[in-house]
Amino acid sequence: MEIIEKIKNNKSDDNLTEIQKICFHKLQSNPLPNPKSELWRLSNKSKLSTFLDYSVNEKDSKFDIPYPKNSQSTIRLIIGENCQIKLIEKDYSIQQLSEDELQKYIKEQISFFKQNENWSDLLNLYLSCKNNILGLIINGSKIPPIEIFSHASSNSLNAKTLVIFLEKNCDIELLQVNLGKENSSLSQSTFFCLKENSSVNHGVVSYGENRSNLLNSLNVIQQKNSSYNLGSLHFKFNYARFEINIKQSAGNAKTNIKGMQITKKDEQISTYTKIEFNGPNGFLDQINKSLADDKSHAIFEGSIIVPKIAQRTDASQLSRNLLLSNLAQIDTKPQLEIIADDVKCKHGATISQLNEEELFYMRTRGITLTEASKLQLSSYFQEIISFIPISKDKWDLLDKLLNEN
Amino acid sequence: MVNENLVKDVVKEPYKYGFVTDIETEKIEKGLNEDIIKLISQKKEEPKFLLDFRLKAFKKWQKMKEPDWAALGYKKIDYQDIIYYSAPKQKEKISSLDEVDPKLLETFDKLGIPLTEQKKLTNVAVDAVFDSVSIATTFREELAEHGVIFCSISEAVKNHADLIEKYLGTVVPASDNYFAALNSAVFSDGSFVYIPKGVTCPMDLSSYFRINSGDSGQFERTLIIAEESSSVSYLEGCTAPMFDTNTLHAAVVELIALDDASIKYSTVQNWYAGDEEGIGGIFNFVTKRGKCLGKRSKISWSQVETGSAITWKYPSCLLLGEESVGEFYSVALTNNLQQADTGTKMIHIGPKTKSTIVSKGISAGNSKNSYRGLVKMGTKATGSRNYSQCDSMLIGDQASANTFPYIKSQQPNSEIEHEASTCRISEDQLFYLQSRGIDFEEAVSMMVSGFCRDVFNQLPMEFAAEADKLLALKLEGSVG
Repeated sequence: MEIIEKIKNNKSDDNLTEIQKICFHKLQSNPLPNPKSELWRLSNKSKLSTFLDYSVNEKDSKFDIPYPKNSQSTIRLIIGENCQIKLIEKDYSIQQLSEDELQKYIKEQISFFKQNENWSDLLNLYLSCKNNILGLIINGSKIPPIEIFSHASSNSLNAKTLVIFLEKNCDIELLQVNLGKENSSLSQSTFFCLKENSSVNHGVVSYGENRSNLLNSLNVIQQKNSSYNLGSLHFKFNYARFEINIKQSAGNAKTNIKGMQITKKDEQISTYTKIEFNGPNGFLDQINKSLADDKSHAIFEGSIIVPKIAQRTDASQLSRNLLLSNLAQIDTKPQLEIIADDVKCKHGATISQLNEEELFYMRTRGITLTEASKLQLSSYFQEIISFIPISKDKWDLLDKLLNEN
Repeated sequence: MVNENLVKDVVKEPYKYGFVTDIETEKIEKGLNEDIIKLISQKKEEPKFLLDFRLKAFKKWQKMKEPDWAALGYKKIDYQDIIYYSAPKQKEKISSLDEVDPKLLETFDKLGIPLTEQKKLTNVAVDAVFDSVSIATTFREELAEHGVIFCSISEAVKNHADLIEKYLGTVVPASDNYFAALNSAVFSDGSFVYIPKGVTCPMDLSSYFRINSGDSGQFERTLIIAEESSSVSYLEGCTAPMFDTNTLHAAVVELIALDDASIKYSTVQNWYAGDEEGIGGIFNFVTKRGKCLGKRSKISWSQVETGSAITWKYPSCLLLGEESVGEFYSVALTNNLQQADTGTKMIHIGPKTKSTIVSKGISAGNSKNSYRGLVKMGTKATGSRNYSQCDSMLIGDQASANTFPYIKSQQPNSEIEHEASTCRISEDQLFYLQSRGIDFEEAVSMMVSGFCRDVFNQLPMEFAAEADKLLALKLEGSVG
């Protein structure tokens, strides 16, 4: 863990940016997260140290997007490659955030960060060099769908940061794709700021190849009357952590989250979500699905925080889990912390295997067991995949998931 | 809108068990060290194995740290400022109830627990524990006819040392947690129940715990053993006087159920909760655990938690035997500045085990009420099932309700279902009841009682009525 040693021994490089320096100092007293804390206690320590073992790569080799473009109008960006973005059309504009704005915003965010809770972000911002930070400001209407790619090359650790400001009354579809090559580590932090009346359909698809690792963190701030929909899918990572922090800064906003993680072999994939309502009339509908097979481990921890100010909040959270093997394990912990009294909050969690009665029914109709379980799984997956915007059909995500089973 | 003040007025009933009995007591000096433990052991004329058990626990306790993971905030407890043994002075040996200090009998009478056999509660045998010692146990002869042993744990140590040596600390080991280790080192009394093979206990057994002095802690230990095909229902009640200091109560309860045995353990906890400013009250740190050792054995916990300034309590079931069943039914009510972090653990180890959790939390005033539960399916728990339901009701906008369920499964052939919801007293329902001529307070208590019905249905008759009344009293003045 060369990176951690460096932080510990106070060996900072001279050419660090201001942000990198701040994060470096924040991490210095405790360069690693506290393994006993609720957020990290289930995390596989040796896998995390594998993540940190690769040396940091700031310049990527050329990256070819492995998927066909859905339609000509789709805007495709690659973090670390697109140096200048300035798209000004009749109805909309997509521009790069100025250096100052970007710095100011990130610094403000960092000031709220705690070493343990936001460790992934602090590490990411410490490792992200200037080229690997992409800041966008999006304005206007009739904006074509956007795809943003982030990837890690083999035998290295890549850190990428994405900051998006969505101006008032703006409405976008955005798909973020995180790809891990063989034996690689990718650290991805995304910051989303939704202004009033804006709306996003956000998709996050992360998938790796052999023994790739991922630390993916997503921070969303929603202003009044904004609506944020997230469909996410994480699979094929030796170790992956997806941390979602959503804050409805003044309430009156809508959040929909549908996430899924699939683990096989000895993989460990975890999702941690924290949703805070800092104003009244907030709405949340969240479902998280996990599927664990072979010797793998899937983890979900979701917390919903409703302070006194957040009256009339309506929040629901559901964790559904499929455990398919004797050696796999699933941990789930949906939690509610409520002070406001006029609220509707509920959560549910289930862990089981494929429904035997349904399997039996299909088999009596002449469908083989393999086919029947595929059918069941496909309906299990479909709910989430259909929620991921753009490209969802072209990529045949469902086929990919099912055929690897 | 419901009138906020009216609701607040519904929870203000004064604590009616807050009196102090003026009685001469024998206390040992404050503080905790090996000598104190030896002294307690000596006073109780204990065999060597028990002293060793205590000293070993004390050594472990010294190395442990007080847990801080619960959602509770309280001032640090000074363990050296507590008296670990306090007993009412009485004649050397009591052969019958007539020799018990009448003041003590009066105290229990006042609490509604008559110990004199003429006034005995219908068909309930009582073991009354006052500060550190057991005062009296009723119906002993009748129970002995059936082979049931029901006595204080100190007596059991003398008369049934073999059973104590065999079972003590097997469910809650001394090193289990900080408070269990403390209890193992200094426990002074408690109840012991042994139900022999094939016996259905002819009456409900009950323990009544009373803390009287303000500077001594209560550390009781209960051990219940149900042999093959036996069954027993056990009730526990607790009260304490009002002091403006905090008193520590750290108890351990161990239940063991062998093949086809069933144990039902019900608690109505009404320790003094402190005043409206949060001054005084009992710190209640309790470790309760049952072990379903035998096939088809069953352990059922039901509890109504209304008292204590701090409650830290997780009655659990270890489901080892094939087809064993664990149940947990709980109502936790917090008001003013009370804090409760309570729940259960259901550890499924054996195949085809089943567990049910129903938890109802009601928080009023500035209180904090958390449900914390663990459901775990081990690798061998094939065909096991769990169903959990935890509902919270918030009264007023200052109270908080938290839910922290930990769910872990390592067995694909098992099913876990968990649901939780949070709500407030529905204004529509209140309006409906009021429009039918039911006054506000009654309407609120009807609704609270309806909210808790699933749990009250599980309580034994005597308790169910009491619990309903207790809740109504506690809530008087708090709903708004």
